[in-house]
Amino acid sequence: MRPAEDIKRLIENLSDKTSIQMDQRVREDMLHELEKSNQTSARIEPNLRRTIMKSPITKLAAAAVIITAITLGLFEFIGTGSSSGVVWAEVARKVQASPGVIYRSREFMPDSRDDESDYTMNYLSSTHSRLDSYKEDQIFKTIYDDYNTKTVILVDHLPSHKSYVKMTFDEKIQQSNFLTNPKSMVQRFLSCEHRELGPKTVEGVLCEGIETTDLAFDRSGPDYPTYSVMARIWVSVETGYPVQIEIEIVRNNGQIRLADVLDQFQWDVELDESMFEPNIPPDYIDISP
Amino acid sequence: MLEDKLLVLKCRHGNKDAMCRIYEKYKDYLLTLARGFLGEQAEAEDIVHDVFVAFARSARQFRLTGSLKGYLVTCVSNRARDRIRARMRQAEALDSTSPFAAVSRNPEQHAAEVEELTRLRRAMRQIPYEQREAVLLHVRGEMRFREIAKLQGVSVSTVHGRYRYGLDKLRSLLNSEVKQ
Repeated sequence: MRPAEDIKRLIENLSDKTSIQMDQRVREDMLHELEKSNQTSARIEPNLRRTIMKSPITKLAAAAVIITAITLGLFEFIGTGSSSGVVWAEVARKVQASPGVIYRSREFMPDSRDDESDYTMNYLSSTHSRLDSYKEDQIFKTIYDDYNTKTVILVDHLPSHKSYVKMTFDEKIQQSNFLTNPKSMVQRFLSCEHRELGPKTVEGVLCEGIETTDLAFDRSGPDYPTYSVMARIWVSVETGYPVQIEIEIVRNNGQIRLADVLDQFQWDVELDESMFEPNIPPDYIDISP
Repeated sequence: MLEDKLLVLKCRHGNKDAMCRIYEKYKDYLLTLARGFLGEQAEAEDIVHDVFVAFARSARQFRLTGSLKGYLVTCVSNRARDRIRARMRQAEALDSTSPFAAVSRNPEQHAAEVEELTRLRRAMRQIPYEQREAVLLHVRGEMRFREIAKLQGVSVSTVHGRYRYGLDKLRSLLNSEVKQ
């Protein structure tokens, strides 16, 4: 009788190779799509704006929409703030006014593999950000963003890698990373349909929270439609600053699941510019494109 | 791997080299799985093609939450399952002429392996698709049972069962062929 190990070895030996024709076909179609998506993302916004502003009727309609949105937004802020100890409009203002913020972020993914970090320490100023990712209390990745020069530097500290890559980014990509930016998240909570959660002690701090299940909270593209959202923000009654943010997003009929918790916030801090200077040891290899 | 994260990030910035590198890195692995699921080379190639084209289309908004390899395997597996369902609605037409490519390049050994792998392939067609998928994803795809469970939408113990039954059936089928 053939042992099971033998069958497994046989299966492990399965090894198909792509043909040259297939490689050619895939590369052509793949790069064509990539090129198309680059052009589309760069083109959509100006075209839309041009279309609106060309016609007097659409111009008027756009103005009406903006006025309505502002009015609704004001009612939203006033309405939410009046029924709890936390004035949410004030939270949004304080968060925006904070010159710098430090916080910890953790991702809880069902599919997390060994290369995922245990947690990331985030340092955000109005012009820079720095993310230090840790695994077993050892730093293994640092990302420096410079919003002025629109450059990002990723430093891979793993002993087997010891490398870094420099790239430029556009604002759309930066905006799409809203899950890592608590400032934009507060605004997003308030602009989405939400409900109050009442008081709760979080990390020893008396907080009040709001919760949203509004799919508009997510910003996934048409290829990854949002399936469900469950997001909560807890704000200190005393300081009016967020203490904890929890987000669970399911996309693409459950194929993509994101679960992030942001906590250990330090708001209203002045971060020294020197901490955003990339610190790359001389033996690290530049693998930039 | 962090390298994959860098490649994905580069793709998000429209870097073509990074996209090609991802393709080069995973094309054979994904083709092997796709062919294992479906049996037919042309269909397997189509699936791998479609997965990479869809990935390129959404690269600007892609956010890697697990491993890239796991994500791509999931895409291939889902598309293969769709094809199987479509097949079940139509008449099943499997390619029985071209065997799996064998690893060895020694002519005699190669011929023996091709024969062995052809038998394996024939046997695999005879086991239920869910069992075939569980066996392939675990043994060749190096996926954990809980990942396969999520993919198949069943419990981990069900996947265990499918894997065990699948392997036993393969063993039984291959042994009966040898006896003949």
